[in-house]
Amino acid sequence: MRKEPKNKLSRFSLLESFQELGMLTPALILLALFVMTPFIMSIPLSFTNQKLFPSPIPVKLIGLRNYRQILSDGEFWQAIKNVFLFTLMILPTQCGFALLAACFLNKQAIMKKTLRAMFFLPFITPMVIVTVIWATIYKYPTGLLNSFVQTVIPRFQMIDWLGNRHTALTAIVFLSAWQAYGFQMVIYLAGLQNIPEELYEAAAIDGAGGWKRFAYVTWPSLKNTTIFVLTITTIQALKLFTQVNILTHGGPLGSTNTLVHYMYEAGFIGQKIGYSAASSILMFLLVFTVVLAQRLLLKRMED
Amino acid sequence: MVMKKNIQESAINKNPGKESAFQESAFQESARRTKGLLKHQMMHQIKHQLQPHKRIGYLKTFLLLLLALLIIMPLALLFSSSLKDDRFQITAELGSLKAFFVTNPSFNNYIEILGPQAPVPMARFFLNSCIVMAGTVAGTLLVSTMTAYALLRGKFRFKRVIMTGIIALYIIPAEAIMLPLLFLSVKIHLTDTYIIQMLPFMASPIYIFLFHQFFKEIPASIAESAQIEGASFWKIFHLVYVPLNVPALVTVTILQGMESWNQYLWPLLVVRSENVRPMTVAIASFFSTSDIYWDRLFAASVVMMMPILVLYLVFQKYFIASIASSAVKV
Repeated sequence: MRKEPKNKLSRFSLLESFQELGMLTPALILLALFVMTPFIMSIPLSFTNQKLFPSPIPVKLIGLRNYRQILSDGEFWQAIKNVFLFTLMILPTQCGFALLAACFLNKQAIMKKTLRAMFFLPFITPMVIVTVIWATIYKYPTGLLNSFVQTVIPRFQMIDWLGNRHTALTAIVFLSAWQAYGFQMVIYLAGLQNIPEELYEAAAIDGAGGWKRFAYVTWPSLKNTTIFVLTITTIQALKLFTQVNILTHGGPLGSTNTLVHYMYEAGFIGQKIGYSAASSILMFLLVFTVVLAQRLLLKRMED
Repeated sequence: MVMKKNIQESAINKNPGKESAFQESAFQESARRTKGLLKHQMMHQIKHQLQPHKRIGYLKTFLLLLLALLIIMPLALLFSSSLKDDRFQITAELGSLKAFFVTNPSFNNYIEILGPQAPVPMARFFLNSCIVMAGTVAGTLLVSTMTAYALLRGKFRFKRVIMTGIIALYIIPAEAIMLPLLFLSVKIHLTDTYIIQMLPFMASPIYIFLFHQFFKEIPASIAESAQIEGASFWKIFHLVYVPLNVPALVTVTILQGMESWNQYLWPLLVVRSENVRPMTVAIASFFSTSDIYWDRLFAASVVMMMPILVLYLVFQKYFIASIASSAVKV
């Protein structure tokens, strides 16, 4: 009698393993086709002069010429510099404001839900729409920002925020931070909720005021959250594309060009797939290195 | 001993009126009790210190509300401008407070972009976005739940290795493979279709991992007993594991739905014709001329924003929880 279930199991085992594999295959096929293949394919492609569409020029191996060309291209280095500048500017802006907002909202009792909903609203706004709105705010000369600054400082010379190579990247930083800080805020809120209340009580017994409580309780307790937030924000910042593509096309004078935009221009506009594959590989290596370096650095700071 | 003291303290805490009676009845231990009371008072003070005064609370709320209004001001600009019929009026009023108010609201802009004779067939683009989003979300849910379940309860070998391999793929940024993928799509003649806008995102390592984490929390004994009852692997999956993980399904639906709705770079690369063009690309193409039709652009943006906004206002809690759990779980 007792053996019956086991028999039943073995009878079904062929069907079972068929089902198991059947459930696994779709993902494996999709990942192989749409992630592995293009990733592996980009290595040989990067050594060729392959075009996007068939062209009269025969495809041939050109060795390291793509890489040499990229590494000696001033635009590429400027794109890298821009991406790093963007990252350096957006990390404190976005994460700082997110932390501030989270601390304010954390113990807020009155209108808690409404306030949270309002603070989080920019995050659900699609980036394309964010660019539409901010294009009008930055608009020259009739935009909101220009007229606002002029009301405060009457002698202010209006600036074409997105058309000026000194301000364009900073303008992109602010609109990006506005759109995305909600994500970091929510993560910080979750982190704040995990800090035991006793710690604050103990700090208050020791006579710590509001600022000291933040510096000695909140901030150290949020260390892991901060590491996570900084890592995620950095990865996102290195992939900057949509805003730049719609608003400035990498201009003026390449001051907002980014890595992804550089790849897009080479591979899609210029149809040089081999060349853009080489820059894809360089981008992958860069993102990988930056994330790894950041991890190690933050881990060391933790110890 | 310490515990007892704590209990006494909490008793005092709960019934402040009985404090004196309590003191009298335990006269012999007065010294210890006084100490305890002192501590209780101090704790009370500290709690008071930690929770700001009510009036300060109202002031803080007021200031936060002001800040929140300042933050969502750009969105107000979007909605008010979309109701202004004249695009020159829109640009003229952008720099003043008039930008936030509408004197004579008109839905002409919406009719212009959504009507049957629309110069820009936004209704079509909207439909395209919906189709791509629905397909991507449905595909993602099916593929990633199945994979996560097979990798958790399957009896084949190398489960760990496969799972690690899938997670490792997460380090490849989608942007870094988009141009080779475009080349591949051209080669297999899939460009300019709905399917190529959906397929590459369906098997996402991050969602497979998320479901794996959720499924792990269901005790294996449930699956085992169902199996003894004669339920097949597939049956246990879709009758036990899927229904028990509705929160995870909601999370992935929201995250992937938003991602798909906002997808810009990939459709920009693979879509050429209007028949399958999504809203993101259509809205961005307004910027390709120097003479921008702001009236239509604003109306189109509102149309694109509306579904998300409505869903967000209705399911606010789930939206925020999904974002949080995507971070905590992964």
